Amino acid sequence: MMHAMSTMPLRPQHLPDYRNPPLNEVVLGIQFAPARGYQEIRAGEVWNLYKAEFPLVEELPPIAPMFETFGISRPSTIMNVGLVTGPIHNRFWFLSPEKTELIQFQQDRFLHNWRKVVDLNNEYPRFDKMIVDFEREAQLLENYFNDLSPQNLLCNQAEVSYINQIDFKKGEGRDKASDWFRFTNLGSAEPDDFSIVVRRNLKNTSGVPTARLICEISTNFTPLGARIFVFTLTVRGAPEGTTVAAALDLLRVGREVIVTEFAAVTTDSAQEIWGRVR
Amino acid sequence: MIQSITATAYTRYLRAETGADVSSHAAFSSRRISAPPHNHIISVIGRLDELCRLEAGWDGYVAPPVSFSNANFALSVLASACPPNGPAPQIVPGSDGDLQLEWHSDIADIELHIRGPNNVRAWRFIQGGADDGEEIDLTTDFGVVAGWLAELSEAAVAARPAAA
Repeated sequence: MMHAMSTMPLRPQHLPDYRNPPLNEVVLGIQFAPARGYQEIRAGEVWNLYKAEFPLVEELPPIAPMFETFGISRPSTIMNVGLVTGPIHNRFWFLSPEKTELIQFQQDRFLHNWRKVVDLNNEYPRFDKMIVDFEREAQLLENYFNDLSPQNLLCNQAEVSYINQIDFKKGEGRDKASDWFRFTNLGSAEPDDFSIVVRRNLKNTSGVPTARLICEISTNFTPLGARIFVFTLTVRGAPEGTTVAAALDLLRVGREVIVTEFAAVTTDSAQEIWGRVR
Repeated sequence: MIQSITATAYTRYLRAETGADVSSHAAFSSRRISAPPHNHIISVIGRLDELCRLEAGWDGYVAPPVSFSNANFALSVLASACPPNGPAPQIVPGSDGDLQLEWHSDIADIELHIRGPNNVRAWRFIQGGADDGEEIDLTTDFGVVAGWLAELSEAAVAARPAAA
């Protein structure tokens, strides 16, 4: 009988892999019904759950609830709803000492971000490790809420995002969008800037659309002023159930969709630059 | 990508949220939602805003206001189910933070009971149809309701008297 020799989960063999992917940030997240018994004044107790690894804290405005629903397909616009009555719950960032990883918490959201910090040249820890950490962190939160009042986290959305920054300088003159993306032929003269959003429904095993892949490509600039492409792939949707385990399943599926789509959309020469190994 | 912390992405988020370049968080004094581009969207948002502001016990008992999460999900449902020129819904609060979207006409009635995110009971009654109407539970796919509302809109247009 064979036993696993390491607790580090393995990357699925069928997924493409790269030695130097252009990843700048990865986000795993869940959205859930506000927990019974939780009040803003208890945010410090939540921080205490993670303080040993995330000793820094910042306070931000909350993220509004987001839902993926299906039927008529068209983009929405952002409008203000001036809800000024009732308690306003902030969002908190609990950051690691180097600020390369952070937990975002608000009364109905829980997210874990990894981000590249240029000066540190920190390596992406890989999804397979991140999701193990995220599961443990979400479990801690669920246990905490359950101590406040017997309950489970009731997840209504899960979300995984990969944010890539494609640096032209690493492409040795490949400064056209078509050098990097298979589907872009923007004419004889390269535009100064552009933005593309592609959305695709993802169906569950019963054939019902429950999630969405959203690909966004745009020209942008680094904080130092270098021109880059930002290529963001997000899968967001309703888990098949309200448990944390169901939400994690959607994150795993979302990761597979994103990694597969990334390989399908980017050119062979770009993948060569990023060191595709399979 | 609003949960992203990349500086450029975050700036884009701020710009999308506020419609302008913003370098501080001062613009976040209210909460924002993503809304469908319907003709009646302003009145729908106004009504949802009103229902989210209800005082606890508004029904004479212990009913809470409509939850922000449910109101937001209702807007998402409208975006997926209601044609841009479709009829405006009546919006009725429930006793548990829930709400109903309703359309009533001489030929049909449609009611969507939003019990929570991904938890909707849809009911339709049409003249000449089953006595109790038809009822289905929906989670994320509102294509069926989109069909109902399209039929309702078409019937309403057909019933209008011809212009003189």
